[in-house]
Amino acid sequence: MIPEQTFFPDPALDRAFGVVMALATEVWVLRDRLAALETQLAGRALVDRAALSREPADDAVREEREAFVAHLLQNLLGAQQAKGPR
Amino acid sequence: MSIDGRSFAAGQAFLLSCKTYWTRVVYPAVREEYQAGRNLEESVLYQYYCWLERHLQRFKYSGRYGLQPYHAQQRQRLEQELRDAEVELAAKPEYPDYYTRIDIHQHPGGVWSDPIAGFVYERGARSTTPLAGGRHRDLHDRLTEAALEICSKPSRVLDMGCGFGKSTRPFYETLKDAEVEGVDLSAPCLRLAARDAAAAGAKRVRFRQMDCARTDYADASFDLVTSTMLLHEMPPEVVERTLAEAHRVLRPGAAMVHLDFLPGDDPFERLIHFGHSKRNNEPFMEPLARMDLPALLKKLGFRDIRIEPFEEADGVLEPGYRSWRFPWTVISARR
Repeated sequence: MIPEQTFFPDPALDRAFGVVMALATEVWVLRDRLAALETQLAGRALVDRAALSREPADDAVREEREAFVAHLLQNLLGAQQAKGPR
Repeated sequence: MSIDGRSFAAGQAFLLSCKTYWTRVVYPAVREEYQAGRNLEESVLYQYYCWLERHLQRFKYSGRYGLQPYHAQQRQRLEQELRDAEVELAAKPEYPDYYTRIDIHQHPGGVWSDPIAGFVYERGARSTTPLAGGRHRDLHDRLTEAALEICSKPSRVLDMGCGFGKSTRPFYETLKDAEVEGVDLSAPCLRLAARDAAAAGAKRVRFRQMDCARTDYADASFDLVTSTMLLHEMPPEVVERTLAEAHRVLRPGAAMVHLDFLPGDDPFERLIHFGHSKRNNEPFMEPLARMDLPALLKKLGFRDIRIEPFEEADGVLEPGYRSWRFPWTVISARR
């Protein structure tokens, strides 16, 4: 293996920014696909785009969103999830 | 798992948009820092500039939405497309060490080792200079125009390092009666060039696998020798042998016209260009820029030597132009 070139004082940042950019690419690919899907569905009157884009009256997905956030941010607590060596 | 066409196109479009932002926004900001006297080695912005230059190219070729894996999953169809391409390949091709030692442009396997490498390179070249966008072909048309101003009606043209034929095409399309020869080391690129020329109905063009520093053409057999983005891919001793070969095959009084990259004396321009050389796996850009080309050409017997900036797109040579660009330069001379 030939080590990759590095540009930041800490090579960990070189690698971590690669992860960020890979995820950003995935986000765009998903957005692109979702937009294409909406266009196709709206063309067949299977989706009401105006209703889809309107601010929702109630927070129907709050519980799911909070679980998502907990999954994301529990990493910051630095607590073992299963007892083991310190 | 295979990647579908829409996802591939979206991934590549995202990377190109990032590159365009880098070209239009990040590069001018780095230049401003430099002009303000900032030491770029300590600049966070410059670190991101360098990172993006290297890794957007890596993602373009090798990532999940990269050119190489996407084309590899269509290998059978692509190889089939090249099956009938009429091209003269070397019986035992010899690839110089400098050519195989690194994967040029971060293209895995380089432009020569995989039968589908020509397709990968062709697709990649469409977004090499983001601001030229869909008009990238203009660059080759412009060089052809410039070459034909120097040598108005050549009957035999040699395109050295013709690759997949993008640089050859405006010559064989403009000069219907001329014999045009394209030579390159890469068989996969030559096959693609030949397929495209046949599709365009070109009758008087040939694509041949050959080292342009050592061709099999007779002395004084061409009216025009040209190359596009070739010289910076070779170490200086091969540049010298290639230019000597151009001199040998040119008729007395005939011209050669090469389009390549030569930065000026500005230290910032040189820092950026030499950095690109390393970051993009193009190690011979810097040695080329350090060569004394006028002295070399004179030594080889050339006259009317001209080394001039090349306007690859409208307005790029204006003083107010701020975006990143290659230091495009035309090197021309007569035998």
